[in-house]
Amino acid sequence: MKKFTMGAVLAVASLAVSACGQGLLGSDDAEDSGPITIGMAIPLSGSSADIGPYMKNGAQMAVDEINARGGVGKRKLRLRVEDDACDPKTAVAAASKLVAAKIAVSVGGYCSGATLPTLPVFDRARIPMIIPAANSTELVAQRLKHVFLINGTGDQQAVAAMNWMTKSGPKKVAVLHDNTSYSKDIALRTAAALDRPGGPDKATLDAVNPGESDYSANIANVLKTHPDFIYWTGYYQEGGLLLRQFRQASYTGGFMVGDGSVDAKLIKIAGGKAADGVFATMTQTPDTIEGAGGWISSYKQKFGSDPGPYSTQSYDAVRVAAEGIAKAGGTDGDKIAKQLEAVNGFPIFTGPLKFTPQHTLGNGGFVILVVKGGAFTLRDDLK
Amino acid sequence: MAQLIWNGLFVGSFYALVALGYSMVYGIIKLLNFAHGDLYMLGAFTGFAMLGAMGGLVHSSSLVALLVVLVLTMVTTGIAGLAVERVAYRPLRGMPRLSLLITAVGASFALEYGTRIAAGPNPRVYPVRLDGASFTVLGARVTVQQLLLMAVSVVLMAGLTMLIGRTRQGRAMRAIALDPKACLLMGINVDAVIARTFFIGSAMAGAAGVMAGGYYGKIDFLMGFIIGLKAFTAAVIGGIGNVPGTMLGAIVLGMLESFGTHWVGGQWRDVFAFGFLILFLTVRPTGLLGERVTERV
Repeated sequence: MKKFTMGAVLAVASLAVSACGQGLLGSDDAEDSGPITIGMAIPLSGSSADIGPYMKNGAQMAVDEINARGGVGKRKLRLRVEDDACDPKTAVAAASKLVAAKIAVSVGGYCSGATLPTLPVFDRARIPMIIPAANSTELVAQRLKHVFLINGTGDQQAVAAMNWMTKSGPKKVAVLHDNTSYSKDIALRTAAALDRPGGPDKATLDAVNPGESDYSANIANVLKTHPDFIYWTGYYQEGGLLLRQFRQASYTGGFMVGDGSVDAKLIKIAGGKAADGVFATMTQTPDTIEGAGGWISSYKQKFGSDPGPYSTQSYDAVRVAAEGIAKAGGTDGDKIAKQLEAVNGFPIFTGPLKFTPQHTLGNGGFVILVVKGGAFTLRDDLK
Repeated sequence: MAQLIWNGLFVGSFYALVALGYSMVYGIIKLLNFAHGDLYMLGAFTGFAMLGAMGGLVHSSSLVALLVVLVLTMVTTGIAGLAVERVAYRPLRGMPRLSLLITAVGASFALEYGTRIAAGPNPRVYPVRLDGASFTVLGARVTVQQLLLMAVSVVLMAGLTMLIGRTRQGRAMRAIALDPKACLLMGINVDAVIARTFFIGSAMAGAAGVMAGGYYGKIDFLMGFIIGLKAFTAAVIGGIGNVPGTMLGAIVLGMLESFGTHWVGGQWRDVFAFGFLILFLTVRPTGLLGERVTERV
């Protein structure tokens, strides 16, 4: 009896959902002349709250530029931002809100761990996702038709890290991650590459629990393997603390962080001097891209501050989305996805865009930054 | 080895400062004050705001400034603790234990998200950082700021032990822990003593918050959660409600984390610590120094 009731409830629920779905599409057609909404779920609070506003500004800039040129097929674009707090539960709620708001394309996603559970939400609603910043390989491993990545993957980041380490010559490398999807992905791939002959050796592969203040136990654990280079693949809050505490424990070797740690706060938390000479694997930021000067000055003029990490990727995501919508001639998700697959040579910051069959960038565009005078500066473009 | 012990001692003394407030409140009114970790967070933010307000003064004499701020913050968080007790706990005293537990969780969230509204969701970096030379003792690296912080902890804990063991105030607290009704009949102002307990416990948590800010440098509005959990664990290991037991429990927990990480790897640190808690509860549920509680009928 109970089973029957459950079945009935499910049946009614699924009917309601499918009805809603049709309702959605129906009204979309009716609203053909209204503005097209682009959705964005990004962290505006929580552990990565610093990044959200950069991404929002970058996206807004693209939206304004496209609208100034008359929009997409005579329809204006509108950006709708929801906070995912870098937290899986909040992110799913934010994605559902965006789906309910009838967005045409999603251009959000910073924390991979929070972005992963939103994939099915958007995919079920047949909304294409152009993910600008999250870059765990797991995002594209499910081969969802509507999911595209315009950031380098964890795989490509690990390769970049490995290239730099082979080039700059450390002998024993310790790899540290924080057990989140993004961070673990890069760490495991880097560790696997270190295990192969040629290049530096692996000292240890270890993880810390994010959200704590005292990592002295972890640090003692890493230092007993005597590394002369450390690669931290997590985010900047723990990165700053680790850096400071490693230096306090009189570790003098090299230190490199992943792109999740590239933020001015990393240097502040580490306390200035401790961060000097720290390397980072990073997709290109506006200030490391040649010829982005005009873009930077118009960004400054608009928002009154320097463009931060992932503002360019977010800007590009909106432009790619607009391109897809224009080519598809409407907001039908399947048609947009098909057009995105066909994109060839569309100019974005990392070069001409053509998606691989896995919906990722052919070239991750990773570069090596170094902290100099309290700021991240370009060290090597790995070309 | 010496390094592991030193790390454990240092982290343990931090846990002890926070755990004492937990333990005192539990000892007296049998309430698990879940908002306690958030008073630690509040202390860190109060100190941050005060240092910010002092501005240029800070850089010329940072250590003095930090100590002044420490005392002021203890008063402020103490008052905040009083407010929490007055608003969230006193009206429910005498109600089933469960409603107190839930109101404690509510108070915790109120403090966390209240701070988020006031100070923003982003992590903040302390304007004053303790920096100092380091030297080697028996093979362990010890820094001057670690010694300083431990000295402050020891002074605070010694003061508390004196207060509870030697003064009229402390006697009243111990009496209420034994039997609040009888105390009321004997003319002790039970409400006032409980309020004072909250003040002292919260002030200690606030002090730990400022010290964490000055030492680690990074503060955020959720920082109280994990340390609250660890302090609770420390209190249970040592014997919740028992002051020397709590300090011992905190040191044991610090050591467990330090050695656990060494033996089984970094990501197992919390698994090890909390796994030990479960093991401990099954073997000796009253904690290391806790007394066997006979149910009064």
